[in-house]
This record gives sequence, C-alpha cells and structure tokens, in this order.
Amino acid sequence: MAISYDTDHLSLAFQALADPTRRAILARLTQGEATVSQLMEPFELSQPTISKHLKVLENAGLIEGGRDAQRRPRRLAPLGMKDVADWIEPFRQQWESRLNNLDTHLAKMKQKKEI
Amino acid sequence: MPLAQTPTQKKTGLVIDRRSHTIKLTRNFDAPRAEIFEAWTNPEHVACWWDPAGEPLAACEIDLRPGGSFKFITKDHPDMPFAGTYLEIAPPGRLTFEALGATGRVILEEAHGGTNMAVEIECRSAEHLDQYLKMGIDVGTAQTLDNLVAYARRRSAVSSG
Repeated sequence: MAISYDTDHLSLAFQALADPTRRAILARLTQGEATVSQLMEPFELSQPTISKHLKVLENAGLIEGGRDAQRRPRRLAPLGMKDVADWIEPFRQQWESRLNNLDTHLAKMKQKKEI
Repeated sequence: MPLAQTPTQKKTGLVIDRRSHTIKLTRNFDAPRAEIFEAWTNPEHVACWWDPAGEPLAACEIDLRPGGSFKFITKDHPDMPFAGTYLEIAPPGRLTFEALGATGRVILEEAHGGTNMAVEIECRSAEHLDQYLKMGIDVGTAQTLDNLVAYARRRSAVSSG
C-alpha cells in the first residue's frame, strides 16, 4: 500500500521526536535558524551533545543546514515536518471531531437537566 | 480568500509518547465529571457523539461491568465496529477498557468548575502504536478513511511520479 511508502523515514522522525531536548530544539528553530553555539546557550548542553541531537534530527529529515555553510546554522526542514504532521493529522482530526460532538452533546444534556 | 486563514481551532491536545507507546489526548469540558462519565458509558449518549462524521451510531451495545463488552457501530462502516472489553469502571474519574489490542483509559479530573479529560491509548509496542495511528483507532469512520484515501493518493502520486 502506498501508505507504507516512507514508513521508515517516519519511524526515524518519530524516534527523533521522542526526545524532549530534540523537541525543544525544534521549538527553538520555529523562531528561525540557529547555529550550534546559539543552541548551546538556552539548553545548557555541551557542544557535542547538541551536535549529536542535531544529527539525529537531520537524519530524520526534520532539519537541514542553512545557507551559511561556515556557521552551519540549522533550520526546520518544512517538508519533513509536514510529513509527520500529515501522518498524524487524520487521527487527530478524527478525535477533534468526536470530542467536538461530545462537547455539543454535553451542552444538550445540561439543557435537558435545566428544563 | 484571505491569505492567512485562521486554522480551525484545535481544542484537543495530542501527545504521542513512543517510549511508553502511548497516545494521549486531552481536552477541557465545561461539564461536571459525572456527566462526562455518563456520556462515555450510557449507550444512548455514546450513540450521539462517537461517530466523528456526526451521525448517530447504527448500534451501540454496552455491558458496563469489568469483563463486560461493548460495541460501537457507525452507520457508514457497520463492518468495522469499535469493540472491546471494560477493565475498570470507577465513576466519576476513571474508565479503563481494552480495544483493538490496546488499553484505553479515560481520566476525568475536576478543573475550574469544568473537567479536564485525558484519553490515553496504550499500545503493546512502538510498532503497534504506528499501526494504531495509521489506521486511526476507529478505522470505521468515514472521515478517517477519507483522510487516509486522500493521504494514500498523495503518497502514490509522489512514488509513481
């Protein structure tokens, strides 16, 4: 089935996302690209540790090197991030709709009680 | 059309923890815990909200006791019921069940006059979690299938060029 086409890529992405530090790095990168030294500061991590996390994120296709090759700033890889979002989206939407229904239903239950 | 359309408001939180292979959905409701518990456990109520398509369920069977079974059947996909067994019934705070090989927990906590609800779906393994997310918990919903079909089309368009 076509869905399994890039499951391996997605597994890598999910493994990368499982780590809270890496999620925090991604959150930081949503504000714009950053170099390793710019990332060291807020996270109070050593340069090798940050580099290791960046490598995992890069392998998973979630981030990429920026334009300035010397400083090697990293930025989010929009397509990689979108893949992950696309994959979870149907599931999320399903529950969003379901719980919207529940919300509406609870309001009806309340009305009935008040009458 | 405006350039930056406001995205549909997302009121439901979704966290996927691959380490504990658990999916956690969170949502706040302006209703007391007892009513939400009732909405989850009384078939007349479940039938009104379970189907994401917004249709009442075609059938909803609930045997509310530990070891008792349940079955929710949507109109669009009667061949794919959401069925399982209740493990723990502890109103108004906790409902635990087993369905599709995963353990589901509904946890209700009082919060500012309303209720914080968490739905946890604990899968057997990371692979099982992937499977679960891919198919949706309830493959029987039209919406999920439509989304999957659209997704598969996009994917095959990519792979076949």
